[in-house]
Amino acid sequence: MAISFEHVTYTYQAGTPMANTALTDVSFDVPDHGYLAIIGHTGSGKSTLIQELNALLKPTSGTVHVDDFTITPKTTNADLKPLRQHVGMVFQFPESQLFEETIRKDIAFGPQNFGMNETDANQLADEMLTTVGLGSSFADRSPFELSGGQMRRVAIAGVLAMRPQVLVLDEPTAGLDPRGREEMMTLFDQLHREQGLTIVLVTHQMEDVAEYAEQVAVMRQGRLVKFGTPQEVFQDPDWLRANQLDVPRAARFAQALAAKGVAWDQLPLTAEQLADQLAARWPQRGSADV
Amino acid sequence: MANIIEVAHLSYRYRNGEQDVDQRPALNDVSFTVQAGEWLAIVGHNGSGKSTLAKSLDGLLPFTEGTITVGGIKLTPETVWQVREKIGMIFQNPDNQFVGATVEDDVAFGLENRQIARADMVPRVQAAIEEVGMTEFAHREPSSLSGGQKQRVALAGIVTIAPDILILDEATSMLDPQGRRDMLELVRRLRTNQHLTVISITHDIDEAANADRVLAIDDGQLVEEADPATIFAQGDRLVQLGLDLPFTSKLQAALRQRGITPPDGYLTTAEMEAWLWQSLSNT
Repeated sequence: MAISFEHVTYTYQAGTPMANTALTDVSFDVPDHGYLAIIGHTGSGKSTLIQELNALLKPTSGTVHVDDFTITPKTTNADLKPLRQHVGMVFQFPESQLFEETIRKDIAFGPQNFGMNETDANQLADEMLTTVGLGSSFADRSPFELSGGQMRRVAIAGVLAMRPQVLVLDEPTAGLDPRGREEMMTLFDQLHREQGLTIVLVTHQMEDVAEYAEQVAVMRQGRLVKFGTPQEVFQDPDWLRANQLDVPRAARFAQALAAKGVAWDQLPLTAEQLADQLAARWPQRGSADV
Repeated sequence: MANIIEVAHLSYRYRNGEQDVDQRPALNDVSFTVQAGEWLAIVGHNGSGKSTLAKSLDGLLPFTEGTITVGGIKLTPETVWQVREKIGMIFQNPDNQFVGATVEDDVAFGLENRQIARADMVPRVQAAIEEVGMTEFAHREPSSLSGGQKQRVALAGIVTIAPDILILDEATSMLDPQGRRDMLELVRRLRTNQHLTVISITHDIDEAANADRVLAIDDGQLVEEADPATIFAQGDRLVQLGLDLPFTSKLQAALRQRGITPPDGYLTTAEMEAWLWQSLSNT
């Protein structure tokens, strides 16, 4: 297992009158090289959950396993350096964390902080710039001359330069235009498929969940209320809507056709899946051309 | 109907310093008009110049070439405050526009600035908060609200001033889908109740679909001006214009790949549904 939560509970300011339980008895497993999407309404515990993954928050009770690491309430900060290198976190609007004079220095900052020498770190920075689709010609420019989408790529390159095996993404496409969003999601998909990174994606974009995720966790009021494949989770759109969650466009469309009497073998989640099922039952294929 | 906004030959270049003027203009000879009561969407990819345009309309950027006329007043450094009286603006990040310690205080800020008497102010603030459905949150700290609720509070602040024009500068782009739908619904209602002209700068195809007319900006230039259905029929070019493809267009393309020929052009969801149902029943 890449990630395993065992009865994880987290209480902010535990033991004080301000105590506020943000996660309650959460358990789930993500296999090696998995792709997990976490969905849920604002305040459902998504952000708390992902901060458990590199022990920015340690469980109040229960255990988190990430590959060979184990995080318990007793884990001390002295043990965390290798874990923090292993789990790369891309927070919302990561471009706001850029600070160096040049893009190369900014990306090389993390690896140098973890003990890499400057030459190697600079070389790695140039390599990561290519990975995120900018190219090393950007290396000597100031990160603050770039567009918002480009700045975000630089910030992500800085996280990738730590060579993490698990990449945690908190709404990584918020505020980008549709083309920027698609490029960003394709990048993560490549890292997942070609380099075997385990991906944990927090998102409101159900289209992305349907397209990319292998597992989906639905959070509500700090509890894990559904866990399964996108097929399983989106199978029940009425339940999702009752939980103020969206279903993918294609599923909504398929449901409207179902209401007219089209019986689907399996609820289609993407335009491609919908077209496949329509083609399979099409009366006179291509007759409009004949 | 009368034009409430007239923009003629507007150009703008960003300055990096005294001497250093950006060679490429952020806006290049842009001209258009907006009718009173119209909902106009302005689309374009990140960096196309659409936000520069929105800021120019409110006099937030001092343009050097061209003219902007708002409600018959030509925008100049002397008239900028008169023009701003007519325009309410909501920005992308709701966190960047709060000044009050509570929702109530924040909504009252615009009226305080205008030195409205307290006796007059209190009911206007309450009415505005009620109008946006935030009454139960009136005494809350703005920071404790969700993104969608924050944008509602920002809208309430605008309602108190009763401007003629509402500009939404990617105001729904940081909201979750439900928050986005709620906000658009609210803007639709405010538009009717307050007789607003709405200009929305957006990437969101559903938001653009609300508009009477869509302007597309690319590389600082106005490249397209049409009703939403005409814009949505442009297929892959939409992506270049910073919009997503409508779901029906994606489905049309996927069906064509499988040897099924749906009607050409933009179809609404209901039209696509009807066509599919008819074709499937046609056995």
